[in-house]
Amino acid sequence: MMPVEVTLLLSAALIVTVIAALFSRSMSITVIMLFYASLVLGIIFTLYQGVLVGLLHIITFAGAMSVILLTAVLMTGESDLNIGNRSLAAVLSAVTILVVAASSYSLFSGAPTSTVPSPDATMELLSFVWTYRPWDLLILIIIFAGAMISLVNLFSKKER
Amino acid sequence: MLTDQTILATTATVLIFLGLVVMFYSRNLLKTIISFQVIVFGANLALFSSGLGGVSNLMANTLVLFSIIVGGSVEAIGLALIVLIHKEYGTLDPWKIRRLKH
Repeated sequence: MMPVEVTLLLSAALIVTVIAALFSRSMSITVIMLFYASLVLGIIFTLYQGVLVGLLHIITFAGAMSVILLTAVLMTGESDLNIGNRSLAAVLSAVTILVVAASSYSLFSGAPTSTVPSPDATMELLSFVWTYRPWDLLILIIIFAGAMISLVNLFSKKER
Repeated sequence: MLTDQTILATTATVLIFLGLVVMFYSRNLLKTIISFQVIVFGANLALFSSGLGGVSNLMANTLVLFSIIVGGSVEAIGLALIVLIHKEYGTLDPWKIRRLKH
């Protein structure tokens, strides 16, 4: 188990990034802070033995959703991508690079760490879903496919 | 006694509350979708923290897995609708859109 201080620190980071995202005047800051919030939540999931969930969360929200959100912001002209303060941009870039560097080092250095994904836990979750929740999985796939088809239809020129 | 489960559940409550407040008071549809995403974050964290106390947290992890995919799908459709609304009405303010509709 992780120490309580780590949980407190990560929870505080999550709340601060979410508040910065929700109450910022610039939409660019909002998108960047939402990206960090997704990342922190994925790290929380990963640290508490939810490796598969954390990975999927980071891929979905910090990856795909951030890109779609940025595209929507640019298409609606809500932001000119000017975050106003160059030193703030430098700090954010430095933090991102440090997080990626620390993660890469902990993964590839061979040092003992509790965040290394355990194949047993991942396979256990997948076999649980496949064995006890197959219909939910099917419904989920239908929802996802329906969402993608709706998305394509919404943007197709023929419909408009 | 301050446990991990308590801290994460409290954080989830704060996230859901913040998302609801901004969703009610925002006059920008993009901010509404962003606050929806924050509410999904809070719901995921609440589901995940509910499985921390028990012996097996497989069910909680499964629910979070499903919630992530459903939340992502809903948000993608919402953003696509927002882009179309902006092309149609030229604004993202829901009050102005209501006036333009009539």
